[in-house]
Amino acid sequence: MDKSVKATNSELEPNVQVNDDLQNTKDWQRISPIAILYFLVKFITGLLSNILVLLPALYIGYDNFMAHPHLWAPIAFGILAVVIISTFLSFYFFQYRLYQDHIEIRSGVISKKYVNLPFAKIQNVKLEQPVYYRPFGYTCLQLDTAGSAKQEAKVVALKTEFAEQLKKEILAQHQIVKSATVNINDETEDSSLPNEHANEVILNTRSISDLIIHGLTNNRIWIFLGGLAPFLDDFGRYIIDFFLELGIDLEKILTFADKPMWQIGLYALTLTFIILLPFTLFSIAASIITFYNYTLSKVGDRYIRRSGLLTKYEVTMRLARLQMVVRQQDWLDVLLKRINLKFEQSNGALNQYQPAAQNSRIIVPSIKTDECKVLIDDVYPENKMMSINYQRISKRFLLRNLVYILAPIFIVLSSFFITVDKANVMLAITPIYLFISLLIYMRWVRWGYAKDDNFIYIRKGYFGVDYYCFPIYKAQQVQFKQSWFQQRHQLCSIRIVLASGAQDIPFILQNHGYQLLDNALYQVESSRQSWM
Amino acid sequence: MNFSTLTNKDKGKNNMQGTTAFTNDSVLNTELPQLAQLKFEDLSPAYAQANRYIDLFSTLLLISLLFIIQLQSFYPLSQEVTNVFRFIIWGVAFIGAMSLTYTILADKRKFYALREQDLSYKSGLVFRKTVSQPMLRIQHVELKRGPIDRKVGLAKLQVFSAGGAMHTFEIPGLPLETAETIRQFILDHKDVNHHG
Repeated sequence: MDKSVKATNSELEPNVQVNDDLQNTKDWQRISPIAILYFLVKFITGLLSNILVLLPALYIGYDNFMAHPHLWAPIAFGILAVVIISTFLSFYFFQYRLYQDHIEIRSGVISKKYVNLPFAKIQNVKLEQPVYYRPFGYTCLQLDTAGSAKQEAKVVALKTEFAEQLKKEILAQHQIVKSATVNINDETEDSSLPNEHANEVILNTRSISDLIIHGLTNNRIWIFLGGLAPFLDDFGRYIIDFFLELGIDLEKILTFADKPMWQIGLYALTLTFIILLPFTLFSIAASIITFYNYTLSKVGDRYIRRSGLLTKYEVTMRLARLQMVVRQQDWLDVLLKRINLKFEQSNGALNQYQPAAQNSRIIVPSIKTDECKVLIDDVYPENKMMSINYQRISKRFLLRNLVYILAPIFIVLSSFFITVDKANVMLAITPIYLFISLLIYMRWVRWGYAKDDNFIYIRKGYFGVDYYCFPIYKAQQVQFKQSWFQQRHQLCSIRIVLASGAQDIPFILQNHGYQLLDNALYQVESSRQSWM
Repeated sequence: MNFSTLTNKDKGKNNMQGTTAFTNDSVLNTELPQLAQLKFEDLSPAYAQANRYIDLFSTLLLISLLFIIQLQSFYPLSQEVTNVFRFIIWGVAFIGAMSLTYTILADKRKFYALREQDLSYKSGLVFRKTVSQPMLRIQHVELKRGPIDRKVGLAKLQVFSAGGAMHTFEIPGLPLETAETIRQFILDHKDVNHHG
């Protein structure tokens, strides 16, 4: 902590002074006690996320507890003691060391963990500042490496300025290692370090209205609602009882038999809105919390994304790390003419369902078409994502899915219900069948692929459209898949695996498939370019 | 190796036309190495044989266990349960037979191909898949040997890329020396400035 004060005081030669500081951390350092706050929050969120496991225990405990109410004091005291001791021990056993361009971290109370990361191997540097650190000026520094031994290191409490300097030091290290092999002028890189913020160009910012739109369009409520399905009965009963107390008999209102169609439609619509509203608000709130004060900026070949209302996140991505660009639009995005642009890195596949802010992937939410074009052209100047002609996939995709799979299911179900004399179930099943057929058709319409000298482009979607674009030489592995049925019609499905995940193109002409894969293998093997 | 065939073709063309050495042929995809022309090698026959025995043995073991439970006198079973057991035993026998048939047919269709620059593995009976991994993108290679592999002198070759754990592929049923040779070939091939 003394060292970080030194770092901020010396403005004459920031580089030299900081380097001394960084290299002098030869001995194992404890982090600031502020970290106790962090471990406390981590403990509590850990408890809450495991609540499903704890609930039975709590239930039993509550019963016993009600039988002996005088136990509340010792129990509460006991829980408090456990919490305090465990968070203090987590802080006490956390040490880090900076030595010879390596960062080492020792942590863990019961199961000890040791991490040793050489600066040169660090792929990502992320700064994460939880809201409770902000008044004190501390932040978390998260480092990860790529490659077969993916390692992560998180220093959970560093003074913000120190963390920033350390970040720059680490990123500069990697630049120097790379320059040695590519023969770039090293001096320009070193001298630009103190002036880095001056060279930083802001590429994009998001306003609150953009974030509201993003919340509206990126509603994951359907998944949420699906999860609530088991509780719907109880929930419905609860609502009906609630309204009964208010003197409104919901069940009477909602019987359809004697009502005109327009009234039923109106009720249905109103009901849908009432249900959707809280979830939409929740989604908008989540969007604002994640992307508040969003800026996307660029320094040299590094893209930096900063955002966050409560916890402030900063993610840095080197251009070379970029594996794939995804231009994504759900059906609402298409209506509102907004695009979600995603820059995919390595590990992208694993972190698919992580909250958007904590990803290494950089998302630019709800941007307009021209903004999107500017950004994509910035990373891949020669790309033709929106201008190239996409080749459709074979109609046999429709044949297989609609005729060979969906229709038989529908026929079997219909005949079952008709014979069991419940033909009115068809009123529900038929629209669902038609809707799924429409979805499959739209999927076929959307699926397309294209290739030029440098990139492979894939277009997918249902009602929305997603475009994927990646440099061919970044392929990790290719797969040629052909079922016995496809072989008879000289079709195939291919898959290209990148470090950020796999991309599939089904039901394409066999010789197209071979050409795409042969070309991909040739580019990887002959150009010998590194994928990151 | 496929680049030398390119030069030979040029030479052929020149001689036939009787012109000067200048050529301007387009480099068509047909002149690049082709997946469709991979020369595949079979796995060791001991692999398929071991699989057959394992399948047969485990099915018979399961059926015997069920018979024992059905016919034992420590804990007599009612008539309905006995009937259900009979049904289950037939079911297990049927599934076992299907599984054995599939294994016999599918093991015949497992191949691998090693080229200078990549390693491929082809498998599948109805849904056939060929996985190709450029040497340059191989993060590391491991030899995996289960207890049966050790007894029969086989090994599995596991190939890891940066595509993640989901896209690791494995070539089973290789004789131990072949597996070790391939592994060494891959290690020798990997470039020095490859990010590991």
